[in-house]
Amino acid sequence: MHIHAYEKIWLAFAIVLILLLLGSVTYGAVGPGVAMVADSEAQIDANALDEDDRFAEPRVEQVGENEYEAYVVAYQFGFEPSPIVVPENSTVTFQITSRDVIHGFEVAGTNANTMAVPGEVAEITVEVSEPREYGIVCNEYCGAGHHAMEGKLHVVSEEEFAEMNEGGENE
Amino acid sequence: MSDALEAEETFLDRFPEEAKVVRSAFLGSFLALTLGAIFGIIQTLHRTGLFRGLIDSTDYYTVLTAHGVFLVISFTVFFLVGLFTWAVVRSLDRPLVDIRITWTWYVLMAGGMTMTGISILAGFTDAIDMSADVLYTFYAPLQAHPLFYTGLAVFIVGSWLAGADWFRTWLAWREDNPDERIPLQTFMVLTTMIMWYIASSAVAASVLIFLLPWSLGLIESVNPTLTRTLFWFFGHPVVYFWLMPAYLLWYTVLPSIAGGRLFSDPLARVVFVLFLLLSTPVGIHHQYLDPGIAEGFKFISMTNTMFLLLPSLLTAFTVVASVEYGARQRGGTGIFGWLRSLPWRDPAFTGMMLAGLMFAAGGFSGMVNAGMNINYMIHNTIWVPGHFHLTVGTAVALTFMAATYWLWPQITNKPVYSRQIGLFQVVLWFIGMALMSNAMHAQGLLGVPRRTAEPEYSGFDYPVAFGGFEELNVQIAIGGTLLFLSTVLFIGNLVLTMGNPRVSGLAETIRPALSGPDDAPEVLDDLRIWVGIAVTLVVLAYALPLAAIINDGGLLGPGVGTYPVWIDATVGALAEVAVPAAWALVDALAFLGARLLDAATSGVVA
Amino acid sequence: MSRTETAGAPADDAGGDEEFDPVGTLALIAVYFAILVIAWVYIYYIEFLGRDLVVVG
Repeated sequence: MHIHAYEKIWLAFAIVLILLLLGSVTYGAVGPGVAMVADSEAQIDANALDEDDRFAEPRVEQVGENEYEAYVVAYQFGFEPSPIVVPENSTVTFQITSRDVIHGFEVAGTNANTMAVPGEVAEITVEVSEPREYGIVCNEYCGAGHHAMEGKLHVVSEEEFAEMNEGGENE
Repeated sequence: MSDALEAEETFLDRFPEEAKVVRSAFLGSFLALTLGAIFGIIQTLHRTGLFRGLIDSTDYYTVLTAHGVFLVISFTVFFLVGLFTWAVVRSLDRPLVDIRITWTWYVLMAGGMTMTGISILAGFTDAIDMSADVLYTFYAPLQAHPLFYTGLAVFIVGSWLAGADWFRTWLAWREDNPDERIPLQTFMVLTTMIMWYIASSAVAASVLIFLLPWSLGLIESVNPTLTRTLFWFFGHPVVYFWLMPAYLLWYTVLPSIAGGRLFSDPLARVVFVLFLLLSTPVGIHHQYLDPGIAEGFKFISMTNTMFLLLPSLLTAFTVVASVEYGARQRGGTGIFGWLRSLPWRDPAFTGMMLAGLMFAAGGFSGMVNAGMNINYMIHNTIWVPGHFHLTVGTAVALTFMAATYWLWPQITNKPVYSRQIGLFQVVLWFIGMALMSNAMHAQGLLGVPRRTAEPEYSGFDYPVAFGGFEELNVQIAIGGTLLFLSTVLFIGNLVLTMGNPRVSGLAETIRPALSGPDDAPEVLDDLRIWVGIAVTLVVLAYALPLAAIINDGGLLGPGVGTYPVWIDATVGALAEVAVPAAWALVDALAFLGARLLDAATSGVVA
Repeated sequence: MSRTETAGAPADDAGGDEEFDPVGTLALIAVYFAILVIAWVYIYYIEFLGRDLVVVG
């Protein structure tokens, strides 16, 4: 088959480009350690979330030194708990599910972003630093009130976090 | 046939019956474009907050569903069936085998789309207990009225018959021409349709096995991850289904309009084969952020997706080289100076070139969408609609409009009413889209979500970068308004064209390639091989993920409710009767099956 | 006989034996390649990896 020399050059460049893209994504995975939402958690009965010890009471729980788990339920049209309160400089693992339709869970302007699918549990781990308030939006259409669905993520100082837990607001 | 004679005869003169089909398909397409544009402008102004007086925010999703379905299903596919009918008949130089079959698929597709359209538009009125506010992705467990799914199924079956019609015509041609290469345009149509058969089988299965029975109350629940995966099995190749007619025009029509020739026929064939092979085993890249799908499957999907860049990058070279050849023929010189020697006053040429330029820009945001982990940054933000308004919204839509200025006279014998308005219209589209799409990408990086009536929230403000949120909203609204005006000019120009008297001498020729089909290996034309490889790749990419999803969550889901966006008393009553009847049937079949199995085992034992 | 983008190369403008070298295309596409690479490096390494809340597990 006859291919013009210039087109062969371009073909080579195109393959280099593809390898650059695949290489970057691989670097992101092994260098900074970006991990994908995957099938790490088992399926769950979305109609019986009250029988699950994580989602019966959506909450933030300390699971290790500086390690926290946030059990989040998305529903038409909001998130529980709201706000999600975590202490500064900690590692937070979100476990997110939906009790009705498909929702999104996006901490606006950051990389924390996942689908919340009924019957599935999405797990993502992030590291938070200084105290800051983030907005959480549902980024998948979920019904007529979709635009009103928002939540909050509050990263607070350690003192404030300890105070809140003593007050029993956030068990 | 001599060239002189060929130049005098238009498609309408030579194939009047087929020309009527092409016209009808285009008219259906442009009706959908008109509706889609009206919903588009309402949506743009509402979402950006510039004017929210026309609809309530709760009705925004009816508008959005209509905008999506009418434009990406109806406008694109009706144009495709018209164009493909023209391309097959023209390049084989013979009529369709049986025009009654042709009208049958046309009526099925039009009927199916009408049903789906009614179910969507009924969402605007409370008087009819029907709605389909599920957007064009119809993710379960949001549930539309059964008419929505039924219409889609009928539409898809119609498109299958259309493909069969073109295959049959090609086979009839093959009998008379046993040793000839498949003409390039027909080759493009056939490979695209094979891709379509493979891709649409999944959405047809999803609709017929799960969604339609579920909306009728015959099954209680569905597995949302499964129906979503089946949707994207179809949902990515469908973007190439929109794009392939544009590619067909860029490869076979654009070079001639530019006064050039296609640079390489063999590479055009290679590109279409690559699309056939790689379009489908990539759908999981729309589900990078889905729980319930292993990372390895996502990685495989990404690798396939990245290699899918290859045919598009090759196309960029081949098409630009073909146009450059035209410019050189017209006396163009220099490294970049030849660009001045092109027929920029021709709306068909300028429209297609601007569409191609936008596609090159869309290539960049597409690379980002395809990158597995970078998806965290832009997934479901307005970046994504920003991307596909460059691809389907410009590369495809603007090419179709531009091609109409070239093709419409040949299927009607009526000259275009005003080529100046046409030229202004395509440039206006380009400017409008440049504004709108650029601002959408920028808002996406701020984290602004897609698919929402009111992207501003009470609890937080977006960061300021690339221009603030409000400023970008204004850009989106201005861009959207220009796009709407451009559509009005296009439709208006076309309506006035219809009022023109019929004349002769409007025929256009397509000139042969510089490197013709004889340079292409014969194996490229052996479609059976490519079908085999395409199916194998799809099985490799999807068998394990689908098995895992069904194994983990069950065919009908791990326990998920039903959330109809409509409530219908008559269907409810029907379901009360139908469900017990269906279970009785299942019981009977199970009993029969058990007896047969018994008989078989005893037979084996004996 | 089918029509004709498949016909043999006619003599009028095919350039005879000399092959057409699309040097302008090569230049344009080289510019495109450079833009793609620069834009990608920016969006991946600065915009994406520089963001808050990188998902690490």
